Amino acid sequence: MRFLAVEKIDALLEALARSSSLWVPTVTEDSAGTVIFEAWEPGTAPVLDRFTTLSAKELLLPASEKIFSFAYNLSEGEESIEIEPSSREGGTTIFGTRACDAKAITVLDALFLQAPGEAYGDEQYRSRRLDLTVLTIACTTCDAACFCSSFENGPAEKAGSDVFLYPVEGGWLAEAITDRGRELTGGEPFADSGLEPPGLAVTRTVDIAGLQEKLLEIFSNIDFWQEATVKCLSCGYCTYTCPTCYCFNIFDEMRSDREGERLRGWDACMFSLYTRETSGHNPRPTIAHRYRNRINHKFSYYPANQGETLCTGCGRCIRGCPVGLDIRDVLAGVKEL
Amino acid sequence: MTTIAQTGMKATNPLVPEPATVTEVIVETGNIRTVRMRFDDPATMEDFTFLPGQIGQLGILGAGESTFAISSPPSQKEYFQFSVMKTGVVTSAIHELSAGDCVSVRAPMGCAFPTDDWKGRNIIVAGGGIGMAPLRSLFMYLLDHRDDYGELMLVYGARMPEDLCFEADRLAWEQRDDMKFISTIDNVCSGWDGCVGLVPSILEEEAPPPDNAVAITCGPPIMIKFTLQSLDRMGFREEQIYTTLERRMKCGIGLCGRCNVGAKYVCTDGPVFSLADLRELPDEL
Repeated sequence: MRFLAVEKIDALLEALARSSSLWVPTVTEDSAGTVIFEAWEPGTAPVLDRFTTLSAKELLLPASEKIFSFAYNLSEGEESIEIEPSSREGGTTIFGTRACDAKAITVLDALFLQAPGEAYGDEQYRSRRLDLTVLTIACTTCDAACFCSSFENGPAEKAGSDVFLYPVEGGWLAEAITDRGRELTGGEPFADSGLEPPGLAVTRTVDIAGLQEKLLEIFSNIDFWQEATVKCLSCGYCTYTCPTCYCFNIFDEMRSDREGERLRGWDACMFSLYTRETSGHNPRPTIAHRYRNRINHKFSYYPANQGETLCTGCGRCIRGCPVGLDIRDVLAGVKEL
Repeated sequence: MTTIAQTGMKATNPLVPEPATVTEVIVETGNIRTVRMRFDDPATMEDFTFLPGQIGQLGILGAGESTFAISSPPSQKEYFQFSVMKTGVVTSAIHELSAGDCVSVRAPMGCAFPTDDWKGRNIIVAGGGIGMAPLRSLFMYLLDHRDDYGELMLVYGARMPEDLCFEADRLAWEQRDDMKFISTIDNVCSGWDGCVGLVPSILEEEAPPPDNAVAITCGPPIMIKFTLQSLDRMGFREEQIYTTLERRMKCGIGLCGRCNVGAKYVCTDGPVFSLADLRELPDEL
């Protein structure tokens, strides 16, 4: 493996920022003590010893983004509209994500990178994804909310990472996962090393085997879901902080009388308006219905459609839930039914 | 696997619509208008093909877009149309449209009625209210391919005579002798000398035999519920019954998440489902 000395980190970040837009986990004046991903600039201190409050999901699916801008034109008494799709240039590098969040990117790929002609993919996601480099910090410690060990590779999951960085005395051991990773770690500021990577964290686990079918079997047991969500506020924190939740809304905003933009932004399946129809009918009228759909989407529908579990065990929905709803207890409850 | 139609949609980004211009607005009822339009780009208009049952996103830039069934038949190459009930922000803006106004369209989307599988069979269509919109496209398609099908029957109901859409079509259908058309209203009312009664009751009175037949229904949920019960009593099996579902939709391409029934997305796996298909899905309509 290669080795990155702790004093060489600025040199690495400077190099990464030269060729792409570089994002690192950090604490800012506005982040109220939480660790979030910010665009790196000289002097930014990456915070690598704490789990990030938000994943880097927004670098692929921004919280809000323009789909296109439009203008109404009047020429010789005839109205016409002009539509200008949004475009972007340049690659993105994420430094300091964790294995669960890197894996989450590949989980989203299963839907958003679907090949044209087979199903619809997402062109805005695709344009960002195909120019993305991910350097992941391996987890040697975890907290009580983490549960990635429930999934096949746990903290050793390499999917989604180009480089896997193991914290060691004086720096990081670097394992190149992809060609891009080999290219990045092949030269300076990385050096050769004979060190062995450290052991990785072992998190709490929940048994997810068989949930895909089991959740369908118990679908009509709404009493279970009512009990499971009795304290849920339907606030949407779990969906916004989830690295795999991707649902979005589409809406228009006018910039002047004749010009505006169609935008899309994160939505949340925990909100009643998400599915309420114009007639007033809502197929998922209560929190229990909505939470059931959220869990089923993650552990039954998405696996059925995309072959991936829509959860990587990052634990954010547990760590930050204002009422302490623990998805692991709910899943365990499903298994016991 | 969903078949992807790129016509009328930017091949590069299916969320980006094509500009279209309204050619005509028809006032159908007190709260339903049909808006006819053409894509501004002649090549897009020429290439635009779809099948009955498919849907589109009709938008007013600045107000937003909503999902509607295409209510014109594929054979109509001069224009395509949506029939829209005024209920919310976007549909209210659509009701303000007049000829010459600009709209945005993403279409076609979703799966059509499996009309090829129905060749040689008798077709019974039961529509109610605005639920007639996709069925108009379907029925006109069946008439366009009249020789491919057996007996054709259409029962179309509304609360009051003035709630019935598609007047010109109804008059034409009444004149034809190669199909049976019954329009009905819920209650007796002065000035109406036609059929009175709910769609399911009329169906049971007419009693078309289920052998070698397919029944398609679309309308208010309560009408669908009782129509399905009637069809069951008449001996129709679940595989012989089709409907088209409504859900709140945004993207129309299976990405934004909200229109699922179980693992199926109404926008891409539907909106057309057989009753047998629906029985396989979790009960969350």
